[in-house]
Amino acid sequence: MPPIVSFFLRRLLGALPVLVVVLVGSFLLLEAASGDAVDSYVARSGAMDAEQMAQLRQDWGLDKGPLYRFRAYATALAEGDLGWSTSFERPVASVIFERLPITLLLMGVATALAFSLGSFLGILAGASPGSFRDRFLSIASLAIYAVPGFWLGLVLIVIFAVDLRWLPVGGIETIASGKSGLARLGDIAAHLILPVASLAMVYLVLYLRLMRDRMSEIWRDPFVSALEARGISRSRIVWRHVARNAVLPVVTMLGLQAAAMLGGSVVVESVFAIPGFGRLAAEAVARRDTPLLLGVILCSAVTVIIANLLVDLAYGKLDPRVRAGR
Amino acid sequence: MTEPYLQVKNLNVSYAAIPALANVSIDLAKGERLAVIGESGSGKSTLAMAIAGLLPKQARSSGTIDFPGLSHSPKPGKDIGVLFQDPSGSLDPVMKIGDQIAEVAMTHQGISWIAARVRAAQLLDRVRIPKPLSRLNSYPHEFSGGQKQRIAMAAALAGNPSLLIADEPTSALDTVVQRHIVDLLDELVREAGLTLLFVTHDIALASERADTIAVLYQGRLVETGPTVRVLGEPEHPYTRALINTHISLDTPRAKRLAEINVADL
Amino acid sequence: MNVWRRLNLEARIGAVMLSILVLMALLAPLIAPGDPLAITGEPMVRPFASEAHVLGTDRLGRDVLAGLLHGTRTTLLVAFFSAAAALIVGSIVGTLSGYLGGFADTVLMRITEAFQTVPGFLLALAAISVTGPSVPTLIFAISLGNWTQAARVTRAEVLSLRERDFVAAARTLGMRPLEIAFREILPNAFGPTVSLAAISVAAAILIEAALSFLGFGDPNRVTWGSMIAEGRTVLRAAPYLSIVPGIALVITVLSVHLIGRGLSRRERLVP
Repeated sequence: MPPIVSFFLRRLLGALPVLVVVLVGSFLLLEAASGDAVDSYVARSGAMDAEQMAQLRQDWGLDKGPLYRFRAYATALAEGDLGWSTSFERPVASVIFERLPITLLLMGVATALAFSLGSFLGILAGASPGSFRDRFLSIASLAIYAVPGFWLGLVLIVIFAVDLRWLPVGGIETIASGKSGLARLGDIAAHLILPVASLAMVYLVLYLRLMRDRMSEIWRDPFVSALEARGISRSRIVWRHVARNAVLPVVTMLGLQAAAMLGGSVVVESVFAIPGFGRLAAEAVARRDTPLLLGVILCSAVTVIIANLLVDLAYGKLDPRVRAGR
Repeated sequence: MTEPYLQVKNLNVSYAAIPALANVSIDLAKGERLAVIGESGSGKSTLAMAIAGLLPKQARSSGTIDFPGLSHSPKPGKDIGVLFQDPSGSLDPVMKIGDQIAEVAMTHQGISWIAARVRAAQLLDRVRIPKPLSRLNSYPHEFSGGQKQRIAMAAALAGNPSLLIADEPTSALDTVVQRHIVDLLDELVREAGLTLLFVTHDIALASERADTIAVLYQGRLVETGPTVRVLGEPEHPYTRALINTHISLDTPRAKRLAEINVADL
Repeated sequence: MNVWRRLNLEARIGAVMLSILVLMALLAPLIAPGDPLAITGEPMVRPFASEAHVLGTDRLGRDVLAGLLHGTRTTLLVAFFSAAAALIVGSIVGTLSGYLGGFADTVLMRITEAFQTVPGFLLALAAISVTGPSVPTLIFAISLGNWTQAARVTRAEVLSLRERDFVAAARTLGMRPLEIAFREILPNAFGPTVSLAAISVAAAILIEAALSFLGFGDPNRVTWGSMIAEGRTVLRAAPYLSIVPGIALVITVLSVHLIGRGLSRRERLVP
């Protein structure tokens, strides 16, 4: 087995206890809800007599104790079955896997943008700590850091979709546009610009600040004066040495922020009417669809674990000291 | 008398109104090996850094440092190579050592990246790193302290400087390794005909390897001259005290220092 | 005014801003008496167009300024208490974990990790779906995803304090382990945790706003998030209805960040 595969498997196995805690915890939490899935089903689909409701409870296993239900859920889960969504009337897994790719695309593009532009601006600020450029970027980033993503989304809609009419108001692509190939890709890209910007902005300034702060610490490292003594040019010291060293903790942050960004996508997707995984979470809550909500929580935990794994792999590639230690 | 390689005249350096060097003047001939000795805080490192052009920004200085031996003002890395005390702090932890040496060669000699990498391998060989070609792609943490100091030496020499400044290059290493590093340094300096300025508190080292000795005390140059003369017939009481402390390292420190009487100076 | 003098410019600006916000929250019933959810005028009056409604009215004719002022109360109340709850729970878990070590540490850290793995916002959503929206349940729901950082920081601090002299002294004096943990170690480990306070408060404000924006806030109270959501339905005709409460949010979060930066910088100076 290639080392990278065994590393991957070992890490996934190591994450298993955490997933079990997530499963038990969210199961317990959702058990505490007053009223069950049948109640909410009836509330939505209209009249149903007591006998029908009892039958449905039996069908969904709701007449048994919580321990029984947990065991049933866990057994099914081991086979990849996430249960039945009462509001979509489809298997939870199929609903989730239909919605997940859009959110992963949104998060992936947002992360890439936030990381690349954020660390680039961070390098500009950190290249000379205390300079005017540094102070300007620091103050601007502090102000932007306070802006909630969903509100930023609304402001962007007002400016770019309503006033200027440059970009679509929402959705993931133009409905029934008949576009295909590149034209369709372009259409999706145009729909993605505003949501990505709203989701990425906070992380962009976060990475900017991290990069800048780390760089200003690294300037005090003795190896920097050794480089100066060797006559290495200032720009090479900034980009190839100081920034290269400073980017490592920023990469670690990428993994830690995966959970937060997934949470952020719930609101941003709602603002832009994007039928993704995040909005699914809000829908599951609004429709009191407990199996779906449980599935959403588990899937987001798995997504976060995998994101962290990928970040650790990337970190290992970037930091030779970790690579050797593995 | 031939024109000196380096001429320091009335050099004053202070940090936030605290003087570190006061009125220091010293000449260095081409190919000469000068040892600057003194206890910690005597200003010996400050003198080395001032000559290397590496004083921190907050330092204030006056006086002149001229290089009559050079046709231009000296460039760090190209004309002056510097070796620092802490070998770990001399290298970027996340860059291959081959690249760190090669970037110096490329910067100062206008050669291509490939040629610079070849030169880096040659330099690694010269500083006795085994299997230099394959070690080009290793990172600093894969080497011992002594090896790191050798690599730092290779990087300091990669620009073909004519002056090498070594600021206590061995004091962070253990005794056996110290000896190897000093021998190597000596050999490289002789081979390339370099002018050497090394800062040390080790008088034995200075007496073995230096042509000239300069003694610093509280930021002032109290004595300078040929090694044999300074150590054999010290004129200044502080030099005498330094020599005595070295001879009897076993005596308690308080007693050793008692001989340095400020009133005599 | 000793504290004031020790703050830097940023923190002072933040403190002034936050004080004004607190004052707004306290004086809201005086400046804008009555129910902020009551209809008091013509619908969709533009800002600065009417003396009775300085910031205009919404789609139904409710005063925007009244909503803004009363919204400050909800925001600050929820944010303060959920951040406090998160810090307290986090530092207790961290202290236990760090001091007890061994199996207890492993279990507690797995639980902390599990909480970090699920997005805090999702946790809050799930909790609200169970408890229903009200101020106390919002506080609970928000702190659910907010305590893990405090636990980690406290644990690290406790681990470094555990071997110190005063702990050994307490041990020789015959204090029981939990007594040592909570009477000797926790108070000393609290410093770094407090510097997390600003981050926790800011996060809580943003989560509360997002929850009420999605319609999961307390329906009997005005919140900035619900005002933004309300304005969204008439975003084309009256964008200010969403923009004005958003600006209030930005100012509040910014003031908290400014104070937090001032505090954490001092934290670094004082060893």
